[in-house]
Amino acid sequence: MSLLRQFCSKLAPILVNNSVRSTQNVSAAITTNRFFSNKPAPYEIVDPKIEKQEQQDIIKKVNEQVNANQQGRIFAVVHLAGKQFKITEGDVIVVEGYWPPGPGDKLKLDKVLMVGAKDFTLIGRPIVEDGLANVTATVIEKTLSHTKTDFKKKRRKQYKNINFYRIQQTMLRINTIDLSGKLNNPPDVTGTEHRIL
Amino acid sequence: MSNSHLLMKAGFITSPAQNGVGRYVCQLQRVVLKFCKNNGSSRGVRDFIESDLVNFAKDHPGVVVYLKPRRHRGPVIVAEYLNGEKQHVYCRNFTSEVVSKWLTLLKNQQGNHEGMRLRKMWHTDHPSIQGPWTPYTFREPSLNLAEFPNDKLSSPASLEPSATDRLIEAFKKQQLKELE
Repeated sequence: MSLLRQFCSKLAPILVNNSVRSTQNVSAAITTNRFFSNKPAPYEIVDPKIEKQEQQDIIKKVNEQVNANQQGRIFAVVHLAGKQFKITEGDVIVVEGYWPPGPGDKLKLDKVLMVGAKDFTLIGRPIVEDGLANVTATVIEKTLSHTKTDFKKKRRKQYKNINFYRIQQTMLRINTIDLSGKLNNPPDVTGTEHRIL
Repeated sequence: MSNSHLLMKAGFITSPAQNGVGRYVCQLQRVVLKFCKNNGSSRGVRDFIESDLVNFAKDHPGVVVYLKPRRHRGPVIVAEYLNGEKQHVYCRNFTSEVVSKWLTLLKNQQGNHEGMRLRKMWHTDHPSIQGPWTPYTFREPSLNLAEFPNDKLSSPASLEPSATDRLIEAFKKQQLKELE
């Protein structure tokens, strides 16, 4: 939760559109609450114009950094085969269970839940805009896990059952994570990208 | 559930020579199918050799396929990988489909992973991009300028007001009301 709040505070103008928002009381006095995340949020009325200006400034800064390619190493959180992975370029992740792609296959991971660099984090609602982040991967290996033992026994009930099984594992190499496209610049019509009209 | 896997050799994901960073290279170098020409336990392997082996060899030009008939011995597939590892699969009484499946598995692997438990489903050279969490990560910056000894910082983080405090507060409220 505190992690989420940290991210939220970094990108608050993009994420929060309410005219009322929480503010931090900046004072030299030391408060009894030692963590930002535990602080009860006092409320104030925010000027929508100033709010919008702040939003645009932050978006502009991120866009500038991305355009100049100064953002450094990028990480992403992707949703893959029912699980979420935090990945960066060159990582190897393991997908467990039946999963059709075979070794050598190049994939584009579409469900990107979060992209971030050192200075900023883009949070998807629930996934980031199509075309904003480009994550590609290669399947390098398909193998089986170690033999797992499923042993059940009930005492005094003449019941004993033993099963052995191995789980399919697919190793994926993350090749690239790119930020392409402009931040906060959604297309007019959405939802038609993957349709044949 | 059994805990026998805890006594097993455990390790992390390894992929030889950064495979897949540029392009994918099949790591299976050589495969030897050992079988008996007469015995029934080699039937599946013999069927596989008759029907599918030529196609397998054609589909995978990077893999050397050897056949080794030997009398009165059980059928075995031996796979040798580019990293020097070897894996034996004993194919007694297998059907040709099952032999085909095992051969596919050996081809898709990067080495012999038998008897090894993966500790993590993730390998990375860069564990943190925005910096790892420390106890000071979300602390208030004004703490940097605090001077010690400090009464507020020395007190417990969440301390309920005592009975005395409540009484004093009630008394003050009362006084305020009287003033009004």
